[in-house]
Amino acid sequence: MAQCVQSVQELIQDSFVPKVAVLCSEDAQKITRKNNLNFSELLRPFCRLTSEGHMRDSNNQVQVVKNLRISVNNVVTRPSVPTSGVHSPAQRRLLSEVVSASQPAEGGVANVITAGDYDLNISDRSVKASVPWYSDWRDTLTELSTSKHYTATTPWFEAYRESFLQSMPASDHEFLNHYLACLLVVSSSEAVPVEQFLKLSQEQHMIQHNGEYTNPKWFIPNTLKYYVLLHDMSQGDEQRADSVYEDMKQRYGSQGCYLLKINSRTAAAGTDEQIPDPWSQYLNKSSLQSQVRRDFVPLPHTNLLQILQVSGLSLDNTHPLQLETAIDMPGSLDCLRAVATETKTTTVYTGVAAGTSHGACLTLNDHNRLRLFIQEFTFRGLLPHIEKNIRQLNDQLVSRKGLSRSLFSVTKKLFGGGKVPEKSIAELKNTSGLLYHPEAPELQIRKMADLCFLVQHYELAYSCYHTAKKDFLSDQAMLYAAGALEMAAVSAFLQGGAQRPYPAHYMDTAIQTYRDVCKNKVLAERCALFSAEVLKSQAKYSDAATLLIKMTSEDSDLCSALLLEQAAHCFINMRNPMVRKFAFHMILAGHRFSKAGQKRHALRCYCQAMQVYKGKGWSLAEDHINFTIGRQSFTLRQPENAVLAFRHILTNDSQQTATQQGAFLREYLYVYRGAFLRESHTVALPQLPLPCINSSATRVYFGHERRLAEGEKQAATHVSLDQEFDQDLAAVWQDLEEQVVAAANRGVVPSTFYPTQCCLNSQTDNLHFPLAVVEEPIIVEVAFRNPLKVPLVLSDLSLLWKFTLKDFSRPQPQDVMVGDAVTITNEKEARLKLLPRQTGQLTILGLVYNLASTPSTGDSTINSNSPSVRGRQDLEIQGPRLNQTKEEKTSVSHGPDRRLDPTITPPMPLLEVFFLQFPTALLCGEIRKAYVEFCNVSHVPLCGLRVASTHPDFFTFGSSSLATPLTPLSPTSFENCSAYKTLATPPGATPGSVTAVTLVSAADFGSGGGGVFGTGGKRVAEIPLGEGTLTPGESTQLPLWLRGPDQEGVHEINFLFYYEGAEKGGKISHRVLRHTVFICASRSLSVRATACRSNTLPEEEGRNGSMLVFVDVENINTSEAGVREFHIAQVSSSSKQWRLHKCINPAENKDCKLTTRERGKLCFRATRSTSKSLEKYTFADLSLGNEQIISSTTPCADFFFRRCQSSESWRPLIAVETQGRHSRSQGAGPGGGAEDITGVVRKCNEVDLDIIVLWKAFVVEDNKQVILEGQLHVALQTIGKEACSLRQKEEAQEMVLLKFKPELPPPMTRPSMEQLSHLIKTNLHYPESYSHSFVQKSLCMIPVILTLSNCSLAQVDAIIDLRHKTTSPESLEVHGSFTWLGKTQYKLQLRAQEVMRLPLRAGFLHAGVYNLGTPRVFAKLADQGAMCETSQQTATPALIIINST
Amino acid sequence: MLTRLKTQVPLFSMNSYTKLGEKLKLSGLSLASTHSHVIRLGRHNSKMAVCIAVIAKENYPLFIRSVPVQNELKFHYTVHTSLDVVEEKISAVGKAMADQRELYLGLLYPTEDYKVYGYVTNSKVKFVIVVDSSNTSLRDNEIRSMFRKLHNSFTDVMCNPFYNPGDTIQSKAFDSIVSAMMVQAS
Repeated sequence: MAQCVQSVQELIQDSFVPKVAVLCSEDAQKITRKNNLNFSELLRPFCRLTSEGHMRDSNNQVQVVKNLRISVNNVVTRPSVPTSGVHSPAQRRLLSEVVSASQPAEGGVANVITAGDYDLNISDRSVKASVPWYSDWRDTLTELSTSKHYTATTPWFEAYRESFLQSMPASDHEFLNHYLACLLVVSSSEAVPVEQFLKLSQEQHMIQHNGEYTNPKWFIPNTLKYYVLLHDMSQGDEQRADSVYEDMKQRYGSQGCYLLKINSRTAAAGTDEQIPDPWSQYLNKSSLQSQVRRDFVPLPHTNLLQILQVSGLSLDNTHPLQLETAIDMPGSLDCLRAVATETKTTTVYTGVAAGTSHGACLTLNDHNRLRLFIQEFTFRGLLPHIEKNIRQLNDQLVSRKGLSRSLFSVTKKLFGGGKVPEKSIAELKNTSGLLYHPEAPELQIRKMADLCFLVQHYELAYSCYHTAKKDFLSDQAMLYAAGALEMAAVSAFLQGGAQRPYPAHYMDTAIQTYRDVCKNKVLAERCALFSAEVLKSQAKYSDAATLLIKMTSEDSDLCSALLLEQAAHCFINMRNPMVRKFAFHMILAGHRFSKAGQKRHALRCYCQAMQVYKGKGWSLAEDHINFTIGRQSFTLRQPENAVLAFRHILTNDSQQTATQQGAFLREYLYVYRGAFLRESHTVALPQLPLPCINSSATRVYFGHERRLAEGEKQAATHVSLDQEFDQDLAAVWQDLEEQVVAAANRGVVPSTFYPTQCCLNSQTDNLHFPLAVVEEPIIVEVAFRNPLKVPLVLSDLSLLWKFTLKDFSRPQPQDVMVGDAVTITNEKEARLKLLPRQTGQLTILGLVYNLASTPSTGDSTINSNSPSVRGRQDLEIQGPRLNQTKEEKTSVSHGPDRRLDPTITPPMPLLEVFFLQFPTALLCGEIRKAYVEFCNVSHVPLCGLRVASTHPDFFTFGSSSLATPLTPLSPTSFENCSAYKTLATPPGATPGSVTAVTLVSAADFGSGGGGVFGTGGKRVAEIPLGEGTLTPGESTQLPLWLRGPDQEGVHEINFLFYYEGAEKGGKISHRVLRHTVFICASRSLSVRATACRSNTLPEEEGRNGSMLVFVDVENINTSEAGVREFHIAQVSSSSKQWRLHKCINPAENKDCKLTTRERGKLCFRATRSTSKSLEKYTFADLSLGNEQIISSTTPCADFFFRRCQSSESWRPLIAVETQGRHSRSQGAGPGGGAEDITGVVRKCNEVDLDIIVLWKAFVVEDNKQVILEGQLHVALQTIGKEACSLRQKEEAQEMVLLKFKPELPPPMTRPSMEQLSHLIKTNLHYPESYSHSFVQKSLCMIPVILTLSNCSLAQVDAIIDLRHKTTSPESLEVHGSFTWLGKTQYKLQLRAQEVMRLPLRAGFLHAGVYNLGTPRVFAKLADQGAMCETSQQTATPALIIINST
Repeated sequence: MLTRLKTQVPLFSMNSYTKLGEKLKLSGLSLASTHSHVIRLGRHNSKMAVCIAVIAKENYPLFIRSVPVQNELKFHYTVHTSLDVVEEKISAVGKAMADQRELYLGLLYPTEDYKVYGYVTNSKVKFVIVVDSSNTSLRDNEIRSMFRKLHNSFTDVMCNPFYNPGDTIQSKAFDSIVSAMMVQAS
């Protein structure tokens, strides 16, 4: 609330004080003028009496007068105030000046009022946010009611009230403002002072009684005259003064005169002495007051006049009407400047005051004399005078009482008759017309009351007022009645001690009467001010607020504003603070203030109201307040605040309409431009609120923008800002990079390795300072969002950055690429480029741009008229929230984000890769040749070029060691040229016969030697550059073979090219280039192959190495690719142990053709290769056409080996196998467990043969027949098991995404029966047909040799049982006609891979066809005692024809 | 520029508020007059509000709709200020009686042109209806039923699983209920 410095009692007491007039002789004025003061001013600081006075009332009781103040004024004879009941313009100006001069102290301690949910910061301009929804109500309330801290002061209101009360005209209906006494001041230097006194006395008498002057008014006809002889100590003769004083005492009595000695200090002597200046605080106000009266009292003080002029100027400018027009014209800023100087007026005053230094000739002793003088005058002169008068009036009244009142009423009743009601109506209309004569008996009681009131005898005063009130009311003298009512209420209040309850209704009636009946606004206002104060002091805030609001009117904006503000303060001081009402009334007050031209107060009010509305979701109201604050701040030349306020309107998610937003925006731009244009450019550019920058969405790209294609060439895709960031993809790339780095560093990833990131965004790891290379651009993409409904135009965008050199050479500025104008309607990104020219540390700070709104006319060109302002916005990126440690989890802390702080490193090589004739679609297994061009576009040599890929089996650069690649004639001659190296088959050779067998080491095809197949480098290949380096600007073209993926569908294939600078030890160890291709693979052929043991005689092929291979080829191509037919051109084999030997089913036609959905079967014999080298692969080519493809060269062999690399992972079988082999080589000891057996058993079924089916497809493409080539691989692993070129199982494995347990090791199962039945291979040797004359010899005996060959590498016990099985009666019938002769059971032991022949004899009784394949062979591993023998697979039927001759 | 803006920003009319004090005094009278005034004016629809607002427990607006759109700001201020009275009325009811408290608060305060009525749900969500003072045909019972309807519709909004409590209400059903209660802007 507006807590006053004074208490209410003090306030009211001080408002009604005994008034004393001053009449001064010329000489006396001269004396006082030495101090730059006139006599009344000289006395003013001492007018409050510090000691108690005593007086006796009519009942002779002693009444104590405490703390009395008197008011001393010059006699002003001209009427100052018209009695119309409203303020004159001069008075208004004065009041307005008083209010505007009183401003809240800036930077003072803010009073914080906590009201409910709100913390209100009152009497301070800074707006404090108050967010907590729920604070403790109870605490707040108790604090509010008990503590004095939580109150606000409104000094401007007090100042207003003070000068308002001071400027109250003396009116006829009350006497409180009338002069009670007159001081006649004469200088002792006068020739005859007594004469002068007489003259002054006559003058006073003339003024009072002549009737010529209505002003000033005098209390009592017999005014007290007090004679003061003023003596100037510095000049006059003191003795003479004393003698004159003695004379005066005799003449006027010792209580009626005084000798006042002042000016005891010479002006020269006193400069160094520090004397307090009690006048300054009074004169600042009083000088203003006297200014208004300067027309009436010609003041000779030049200094004061100067002040008047200064303040007069500002007064003129702050004239409400003038100010309004000034604001309405934005161009006339000169007027506004004058407004701004308004604030300085107070300082001007103090300056003048200090310069003139009132009371320069007065010593402290003089001050005491003055004080003593006032005391003497009051206690000896004034109070006795009042006492006397009261007694007189009392006597008059008492003597008249019984008679007069009754007489009056009787006479009225007698003579007035029925006139009474009429009169009341008439007087209601014309009350001010009713005037009592000043000496009228009705007024005597009022006079007495006033006198009592002035000397603080409130009890008597109340009873007098009460009586007077009754009289006046009965007379229908409404103005008088209202005055009496008002004073009755006041004195009742001042009585205190709760003898009488405060009659609030008196006040209400008084106010109503003043206002409505008497039409006297001023008196009504005075009354209301008192009443409100009294109500407030009684904590009746609600009533006070109502009263204050009621008093607001259209007439006076200033008054209404102040009253509304007080009402607002009342609301907040209620027991349940009404914060919102407070805010609302503050806004109303602010509005009225601004209408009254009190801009600063208006601004303050709005700011205080803002505290309530801020952040509470009442956006319309908030916008309105912000807008007003902005405008007020602007007119008060506080552009920073204005801009800040406008920012709020614009940054909020505004619910205003588009036009409103556009208006706001234009206003903002205008204010902004006005605020900052004048400032020098050295000042840092201010922040702009619009558009919003989503700083976390900022992306930073290092490097040049890529050309995607250049003619026929297709550039590597690399990374670009247009790509979306994909977390999974990023992981893939990082994995690839790790592999390639490991390959480059001999299989170890260095500890300093950090994956290269070309494009940084919110999802990338931004903990490290990114590295950028000098002379390579840095592109920053900033995401803007326009929260408004109107478009914004940004132009001249550029980046703000800071740079510290690391390498100190000559400093060179950086180039900043400036973006084009961008119109932002909703969301938009802008890309800005920065080109570093020096190495060092760069920090990108923010953006600078011009902001403008689009012209409403709609033309797209930005005309210069539309206001555009230049400002900046900082880019501050908050890192991801940390959530690792417990502290981080409990608090909210963010990690660093160094996206915008790149380190500029010395030049690095820069590679560009182009692809030529790169296909987009391939058949599965198709081989295509393409070219790739490597280009070093930097100024630094490049080396260590490597490539890593997610699909290493997709491509090959050929094997460098063999130097086989045919030199590419030119890429254009490719079409008719086969990708393979071919030889024409000798004309005589039958198709299907082996034409070539080559031994090739796997190392030849892995470009890096053994390391390539090592753990880290599976997917990495070195690129065979000529000299291993690319010099600056050089480019090389290399052939590249591609093989369509085995799986149909679209494949995303990632290439990561790795390269290094020739110089080591830079900050960047390597660089990478990414490339992604999408290959659409369509189905071609499906190849299935099985192998089975051949039953041919072992001696034919040496040891038991002979096998039949059946290859099923099916055309599964769906004809959409336009494939007419497939030709199987050649079947090759590649194995370390086996080779294809011969095609067994030579078809009639040479080529094996397959049209759609056809299936062909090929049968081959494979033999063990003769090679002894374990590491070398034997390639055997079986050409089915007329030319032979050399499969052991690039690309065929390359792809074969690459397939091995990639397939290793999905062939765990081999790994186990090698392991088994390994353990066996250490000696198959008796301790060998089940694992050993498994291995052994498996080994005997194992084939390690890869079949390569080379095909040609005839495709019609654009009416042209094109021959496509391709190769498919089938890996045969086990005898009898079908292998397929398509992998089906792999996919199923990949589907397993979740693994909750570590995989169990495969259980150690015993080898299955099926596997065990392959231990021994049996063959029967016998003549195919045999002639025997059964006539001669009924028993035909034929020797048969049973060859047992141990397939395993372990000792095997075998049991041969020759007894016929009696499985079925039928077989007995058919085959039972022959018998084995001799032993029916043999027990043998075969060593590893031993071949044993067992001679048998079969006996036949009849001619016929017999199946000899009846011997049953059981086998078990020799050292496995516990195992029982397993029946071995029976040989194929062995038929023998016995002819009878 | 400034002058142009002045016309575009609807400043709150101060005149309407200056006589609030008188109106406060007369509030008893005007209430009485609404009760006694049974005569219906034919052209009035029985349900006519000029502003309907739903205020969250924490006193931020969930929904405000007013009919003369150009004066929206004024209604915002009016509704916001009325919250003080609402709070006063709620706190006037003792804690013990809070459960049996009637939701309908009655007339909060009259201004020169409008009458403001309040209603508080048990979850402290406030409904405020502003009615034109000249519309004398509206009786207390009708205001009550308007509030009840509003409450029902609000409950439906709250029951919507896709409505996030505390968000501004954007339900079409609620909107149409409100529209039905409002004066059709002519």
